[in-house]
Amino acid sequence: MRKFLDSSWRVKLSALIMGSGQLMYGCVAKGIIYILIEIGFIAYMVIRGFSDIVGFFTLGTTKADAWLGTVGDNSVVMLLMGIFAWIVVAAFIYLYVLNIKSACDIEERVSTGRAPKSFIDELKELLDRKFYITVLVLPVVGVCIFNILPIIFMILISFTNYGGSIVPPELVDWVGIDNFKKILTLSKFAPTFARILGWNILWAVVSTALNYFAGLGLALLLNKDCVKGKAFFRAFPVLAYAIPGFITLLAFKFMFSYGGPINQMIKATGTAPIGFLDLDAKWMARLIGILVNCWISVPSIMLLATGHLSNRDMSLYEAARIDGATPFQQFRKLTMPFMLFATTPVLLGQFIGNFNNFGIFYFLRGGLYMDGYFLASDTDLLINWLYNLSIDNNYYCIGAAISLIIFIITSAISLAVYVKSPSYREEDTFQ
Amino acid sequence: MKRKIALVLIGMMALTTLAGCKSESKEATKEAASPTNTIFTGELEENVTIQVLENDTAISKGYFDELIKAFNKEYEKYGITAVDANMDQYLDLANDGPYGYGPDVLYQANDVIMQYAEGKHIYPLPVEQLDCYSQIPEAAWKAYQVDVEGNTYTCGVPVNVQAPMLYYRTDLLPEDWKSNWDDNKNDVPDMVENWNDMYAYSKEIHEVNPDKYGYMKSLYDVYFSSGFLFSYGGYIFGDNNTDTNDIGFAAGDANKGAWVLSQLASNMNEDCIDDTITTNAYSKLADGTYFATLSTPDTYTTFYDSLVEEYENDGLTEDEARDKAIENLVMTSLPKLPESGDLTEENPSLIDTKTMGGVNGYAISSYTKCPNACLAFVDFATNYEMIKLRNEKLGIAPAREDVAEELGGLSKQMYENLEKGNVVLMPSIKEVGQIWTPGQTFFTDLAKDSFRPESEKKFKDLDALKAGLEDMCNQISDAIHTLE
Amino acid sequence: MMKKLSVGKIIDATWTYALLLIVAFIFFFPCLWIVLASFSKSGSIYSFDGFFPKSYSVATFKKLFTDTTMYNYPRWFLNTLFVAVGSCLLGTFLTILTAYTMSRFEFRARKTMMKTTMILGMFPSFMGMTAVYILMTQFGLINQLWGLILIYAAGAPMGYLTQKGFFDTIPKAIDEAAKIDGANSAQIFWKINLPLSKPIIVYTALTSFTWPWSDFILPKLLLKEKDLYTVAVGLMSLDETEFARFAAGSVFIAVPIVILYFALVKNMVDGIAEGAVKG
Repeated sequence: MRKFLDSSWRVKLSALIMGSGQLMYGCVAKGIIYILIEIGFIAYMVIRGFSDIVGFFTLGTTKADAWLGTVGDNSVVMLLMGIFAWIVVAAFIYLYVLNIKSACDIEERVSTGRAPKSFIDELKELLDRKFYITVLVLPVVGVCIFNILPIIFMILISFTNYGGSIVPPELVDWVGIDNFKKILTLSKFAPTFARILGWNILWAVVSTALNYFAGLGLALLLNKDCVKGKAFFRAFPVLAYAIPGFITLLAFKFMFSYGGPINQMIKATGTAPIGFLDLDAKWMARLIGILVNCWISVPSIMLLATGHLSNRDMSLYEAARIDGATPFQQFRKLTMPFMLFATTPVLLGQFIGNFNNFGIFYFLRGGLYMDGYFLASDTDLLINWLYNLSIDNNYYCIGAAISLIIFIITSAISLAVYVKSPSYREEDTFQ
Repeated sequence: MKRKIALVLIGMMALTTLAGCKSESKEATKEAASPTNTIFTGELEENVTIQVLENDTAISKGYFDELIKAFNKEYEKYGITAVDANMDQYLDLANDGPYGYGPDVLYQANDVIMQYAEGKHIYPLPVEQLDCYSQIPEAAWKAYQVDVEGNTYTCGVPVNVQAPMLYYRTDLLPEDWKSNWDDNKNDVPDMVENWNDMYAYSKEIHEVNPDKYGYMKSLYDVYFSSGFLFSYGGYIFGDNNTDTNDIGFAAGDANKGAWVLSQLASNMNEDCIDDTITTNAYSKLADGTYFATLSTPDTYTTFYDSLVEEYENDGLTEDEARDKAIENLVMTSLPKLPESGDLTEENPSLIDTKTMGGVNGYAISSYTKCPNACLAFVDFATNYEMIKLRNEKLGIAPAREDVAEELGGLSKQMYENLEKGNVVLMPSIKEVGQIWTPGQTFFTDLAKDSFRPESEKKFKDLDALKAGLEDMCNQISDAIHTLE
Repeated sequence: MMKKLSVGKIIDATWTYALLLIVAFIFFFPCLWIVLASFSKSGSIYSFDGFFPKSYSVATFKKLFTDTTMYNYPRWFLNTLFVAVGSCLLGTFLTILTAYTMSRFEFRARKTMMKTTMILGMFPSFMGMTAVYILMTQFGLINQLWGLILIYAAGAPMGYLTQKGFFDTIPKAIDEAAKIDGANSAQIFWKINLPLSKPIIVYTALTSFTWPWSDFILPKLLLKEKDLYTVAVGLMSLDETEFARFAAGSVFIAVPIVILYFALVKNMVDGIAEGAVKG
């Protein structure tokens, strides 16, 4: 800031016309790029950006009526494009600051008698010291548009009355924190939330642990020296992996249904069939869910762990063998710490994935609302409940509010775990 | 031109509001006919293509192809072509239409179509102009009517009536049915005339051979099971299925209907708890494990094909198998119920069975560029010949009286049931989507109850059933109102 | 002494193989069941003897590929193949690069970015589907297969953590050595780290290739025309009585994935020649 105030008119000009300072000092390419950015931004704002931002606040003023031929406003589109416009504005401000900084830098170099960096040099830098910028631009833009934008959209929806009978062409309005008030004051809500959250955490922990250790164990087993035909044995889990999850789930659902093959066999022995997944089968259904999830997830963890195992530093093992370490000691002292380190992100990813595992119980045991639960069954996870609320029952804004609450809780937990994990804190352990 | 009129209309509306309340009602009636008249001017748009969304069965059985061919030939002179929209039959017009990705004309059940009407995603139609207008009963038109700002509009054109049907096989009847199972001597077996005899016969079959069953149907399916509640005074929503504050699954003697269901379940096996029977009925009816089941008319061909296959496996030639299947597979309307709800009662006084049902028909998307051409298509597709062809190809029960009359038999029965009010039409409001899961849960529980040990049974008497139904109503009410 | 050791080895090998066989069975049996069901002659899963069909035929597969008036499976298959290959190439490229950068470079926003992506993953994704749909309508990318590729590829780097874990275990000393030899960061990545990371590339490629075959929520949202359907959407749109077709169609999905696996499996194990790197 100081630098800017102390700078010459050339830099100050580039505060008005981006890139002009750079041009003055002879950095033509850079200057032109900045000017183009400014022109592009202004054009965007004039063409739609400005009205999008206005729309963000009003969420539409004329209701569409196809019968009368009124075109009208679509509140949801306006909200989304409004957010988009804000993102563009934010990106522009960032570039704007960058522009002034670069103008200051150039001036400083010139005033100390050096020539400003040439455009070619800066490009070269992008391939070397600043390689990360080159690489990350595309993913960051992609993630911003297709991940962050929808999430912001969802968060903002929880402050509107979108849902129920208020869907386009009806106009949506901002309602402040009404939805959150409603959730907190509703007596039916809290017990269901507590029950489902409890089960959800149990489910996430148990299935993550089970999947992870089963996958890791399988990879280690296949990695043993005495196993011949590794590719052959590895092919079976891959086969399971190759069949899409929803098909596997539908197949398992049928397998455990009353008319399915397992019950057919039970019936053949003369005993009464078992309702593995019916409405009284609370813990049985939960157990089946955990096992089926394990069947689906283990192959990919195994594949990944196999990849990691091949990346071990074998010279350490050589040394250990010379020192007389038994295979078990080698496993405990070398393999395990290494694998835990390298796969903590997997563990975390698994946890997140399982926490939000929508498919398992949607396919295995959908379509029941149990006593003691508000619009949910006793195997439903939070995400299934959210689906029931926001898609099946159209409470879109309430669903968004609940997902925001869940999101805050879960992300706080997992963030705390992640920040403490060795793969975050000690990224260099195995260097 | 159209736009101009619309603008004038908006101006008028603004004026009336300014002028105050007094003139409002008068102006409203004047406006009543206007949206339809301004949209459907009667001038055909020329050289346009209409995207028509039909249901999958109509496409796969070749009916749709014949329909558009016939239409395209007739309207070649105007350059109007109808094509298959090539989209999912269950697409959501409310989501796709506004962005220009929907069809121009769509065929759907009345409850689906009318949900679009609420958001004005489909046009109100000048149905009086249509050829089929006078032939379709009031009850069917009602299914497509919506009240907007005090005026009633019709937003769809009925094509056929959908309601549960009883499927059974005559070759599985007892050989002596004419002497022992036809008390009223009308040449129709008693077990398909009333549920008491069906119950008795199911029991007998199962006792003679534990691997065989009489009547089988998964209970959990609300569409099929709720009819039993309706027959004894139950209903979905009050005030002609519009008042969501009044949920009537437990109203009247609906608990007797639930009792009937649980008695029927006692002669089935555990398959009736989940959806097993819904999916295996085709092959189980064919191989003789089941004697009868419920399904909709459009599944006739699936039952028929399975039966033909089974006969062929028994060594018949294809033609013989087909003839035998036509003869033995019967689709008929539902048996009558005992007034008392007791299926073991001898000589009960009988009442009609009501069923949940729907009227499928055509609607025109509000996002079409050529409403008049679309209307011409709908008019064409609902004319006498096309509806008759539709029946021949797809076995549907037409909503047109002249076709139903000519076909006689089942089509006529269905038509009469609709007129008598025995087909309870699915509500046309959005909230209908929220009755399924609570209903499903109750019926699953009811089915499961038949297989619980005596001490654990939940529904031991009529009062318990009533309480169960009330629970279900409360759940539905919660689902609809709690978070409003 | 020697003798005892080899007895131990035999016991070790025995239980290893026994366990492997059990695992193989656990994974194979349900697959076999689905595969055989697709070859069932009757086409109905309810006419089976216990687990397996009474008689077999290839008629359903024939029907799957020839009877295309209503359900154009070959077309869906090609669509999915296109999307899968596209998002596999683009997604793998972006993910590997992202993971590499996050593992190797120190810059200001790094830790923040790591935490942010971690949190973003916790968000229930279907809640944002409406937004994605509207966004795509605004960009005019509905009914476009590459719109789908775009979204898959854009979302792929979100899962970079797994790959970063791998890069964290590749010694940085190699990079330093190359730097001294005058290579720039881009060259170090292309010439040195990329060849070393074959196993993780294979893993990433396999997962991003597999995903489009089983996802039906996104394609259902973005592809309205039946001719553009991917296999998963197509299968879900089948009539409920079309069980045989469903089984055959879903079994056939596994074919390209298994082929890809066997084509890549070699790279998975010998990513780093044992000990050669560290020396």
